[in-house]
Amino acid sequence: MLELLTLCGYEANEMEMELPRVRKAFTKLGITNEDIEVGKKRLTTYFDIELKGVRKLFGVFVRELVNITLAKEEGKKKIIHGCMAPSFEILGSALRSNSKDVFVLVPNPPFMVVFGFIFDKFVPILEAAEKQWMKSGLVSHCAMVKTRLGLFALNLIPRPDLLITSGSLCETSPKTNDLLHELYDIPTHCYDTVQDREFWEYPDSTRAIQLSAKGMRRMVQRVQEEVGFEITDEMLREVLRVKGSFTAAVNKIHELIRSSDPVPIGSTHDNLMMWLGPVPLSIDSLILATDAVNTLYNELQERVDRGVGALEKGSPKIFSILPVHHTDPRLEHLVNQVGMAIVATDMEFNATSGLPASTVAATNDPYEAMSQYLQSSLLHHLGGRISIILEACKRLKVDGVLNHYHVGCRSVAGDAFIIKDEITKKLGIPVLSLEWENFDPRVYQHEQYKTRLELFKSMIKTRG
Amino acid sequence: MNEEQLAKHLRDRPVKLKEAKEKGVKIIGYFPGNYVPEEIIYASGAIPICLTDGGNPHPADTALSVVPQIICPFARAQLGERLLKTNPYYSMLDMLVAPITCQHLKKVAEIWEYYGDIKVFKLGIPHQSDGNFELEYFTDRLRALKDRLEAFTGKEITNAKIREAIELYNRMRGLFKNISLLRRNLSPPLTALDFVKLNHASFYADPAFMVDTLESLCKELEKSQRTDKSNRPRLLLVGPNLAHGDYEILKLIEAAGGEVVVEELCEGMRYYWHPIGNNGDPFQSLAQGYLMDRVPCAFMRSSAKKRLDFALQLIADFRASGVIWYELQCCEAYDQESYYFSKKMNERNIPMLIVESNYDISDAGPLRNRIDAFIELVKGGPDHA
Repeated sequence: MLELLTLCGYEANEMEMELPRVRKAFTKLGITNEDIEVGKKRLTTYFDIELKGVRKLFGVFVRELVNITLAKEEGKKKIIHGCMAPSFEILGSALRSNSKDVFVLVPNPPFMVVFGFIFDKFVPILEAAEKQWMKSGLVSHCAMVKTRLGLFALNLIPRPDLLITSGSLCETSPKTNDLLHELYDIPTHCYDTVQDREFWEYPDSTRAIQLSAKGMRRMVQRVQEEVGFEITDEMLREVLRVKGSFTAAVNKIHELIRSSDPVPIGSTHDNLMMWLGPVPLSIDSLILATDAVNTLYNELQERVDRGVGALEKGSPKIFSILPVHHTDPRLEHLVNQVGMAIVATDMEFNATSGLPASTVAATNDPYEAMSQYLQSSLLHHLGGRISIILEACKRLKVDGVLNHYHVGCRSVAGDAFIIKDEITKKLGIPVLSLEWENFDPRVYQHEQYKTRLELFKSMIKTRG
Repeated sequence: MNEEQLAKHLRDRPVKLKEAKEKGVKIIGYFPGNYVPEEIIYASGAIPICLTDGGNPHPADTALSVVPQIICPFARAQLGERLLKTNPYYSMLDMLVAPITCQHLKKVAEIWEYYGDIKVFKLGIPHQSDGNFELEYFTDRLRALKDRLEAFTGKEITNAKIREAIELYNRMRGLFKNISLLRRNLSPPLTALDFVKLNHASFYADPAFMVDTLESLCKELEKSQRTDKSNRPRLLLVGPNLAHGDYEILKLIEAAGGEVVVEELCEGMRYYWHPIGNNGDPFQSLAQGYLMDRVPCAFMRSSAKKRLDFALQLIADFRASGVIWYELQCCEAYDQESYYFSKKMNERNIPMLIVESNYDISDAGPLRNRIDAFIELVKGGPDHA
């Protein structure tokens, strides 16, 4: 256990204090000594665990998992649960920073990183959901949502007083909450926008953003009723400011990766930064997370200065449509093994002139600022996504595109073939399309992927 | 009703539409789901056509060159028809009004829009139907639709014209409701297939002609009511979509000895349970009627209980003794909800069969066996023992 926690960035003095809590939480979660051995091996196989910044980032997820698991028994009086709820974490951070009694959790990221990346025991959570109403098979329910249902079914998370989601991107998540409410009597709330932006309006999203802001205000009113105190605009603004520093730190790393040859770090790590985005850390924890990212940046800059990289200099630069896998590092690891570097994903870009998607817009209304997520590639219509992707690929001068579309999401999967055609026609670079599930490790097919990635690399080389 | 007259009207309709188009009348298509008020299109002097063809595997399969199989066969069929260019209703459109409902039809709308060969108006449908700002938003979008149509057709859409259109379509809805209610009779005066085809016809036919036809039919049916009792198990059909041409399920049920006496379907069938209010601001009335007053589809938030309650009411009113849940493959919202319905029906000892379709002819054999077995099961139940 101590060795594992060291790999996850726990300092000696913290470890002494935290060990009983971690042990208690791991016991509740069914994490065994064998799992810990698996975890140590996976951390050293798939990650640059010698980097202090990487260890610290893993530590943030482990701490969050422990906090979630022990929230009830440590006296939290109100539990608010969010999932697939963009910007809900801003509200969550504000609540956690302003109340000792309220605990806000977005459980999927810590469970995916710890159960998936580290311990390779994520599948039972999905299977638990499939035994309920999110069956497996052709219907391909999104494993992100299955995770929520599986965690409830296995009793791995505390029962919430309020369960929140958004329907901005799909019906699966709100429908799951609908059924959790009807079948398990869990109070739920959904906030929405309407995805009726037209291509001629692009990149203007004012209408969708204003509607979303109204929905978020109503969501906050509902949360206020539950927690019994006012959530002021200033509380949200304060979180937005701190979150802005975190985002800026992540963006520095992204820019460093995009501009360096060789790339200073393997492609599996991106998830560690991206998946911190939706976690509702308290302001103090957000500052610590920002420190972890800055530590990593300094270590990577030092590698770049020395000309040291995770791959050989001159390795093809790949743009990924959709982010790296969230529960399983094997594909990105394989991409690197084959000799290609994923230097960016479309999730890092938005509709406003190549600014990073998570950049907070200059609006004084915190709800409109929180609704800027609608400008991201993922939330745009087909025409908008294509514009964002083509622009980013041109700017980064990538050699190829990995178009692994998340089959559980009708919205993004429905774009995949047309995006491929447009990149091929307009940029003339190779595109590898893979039908994919971003949250389900069972999708991984080593031999098939290896063959296809090697072929993809030779197409790039032939063209180059 | 003169069936031959309606059949001839439908046969001739593409030619008539082409003639109208040549005279400058705009043909405006819209996707089904009952969230697009045809009244506004009709009031613009354009001809509204609901694009609801499906059931045929060819268009759905053709679309697989553009989207993966995860998009449901009905939505794919709407892309396939556009790609094939052989269906006159799809080929002659001047504009599409696409309601942003489920992810499948939303994606189809985006792809039509991206192709850019005809004008597309995306009609935003708030997915929550119990809040004020959602109603305001929808009302505003209906006004935006009116502005777009005026610019496109060059004709002013007055409130008076919309009220006339509401009046016409309310008559149509009322007649469908009357006919549907006649099916509560223990010996329904028309089969489900006939009713569904009639309903589908209303999406393509001239609305005034359709109203006349329905009036005449209604009178006929009212006169010819029978008092004997059919031995066929009475069933409720529930699902996301029953397209124009997707009739295999109804034929199989009928062949197996079952009788669908009422339907609760999101897309494909005209919603007729509530009239639209026709006093005051017509846009507010349309928004209220099309968004708030109706039974929500499964993609709407917190809709499961409302839909279940409505289905249970239909079961009671129409004395149905079983439910057939007809789902299209990859329809994630209905697939999740089927679990809930199944559980709740089971608690009430109402047999329910869940079947899925991908418009695949090879599914017919296994489907027939399952429906046969289900009808036997229902026949053995309390109402038929």
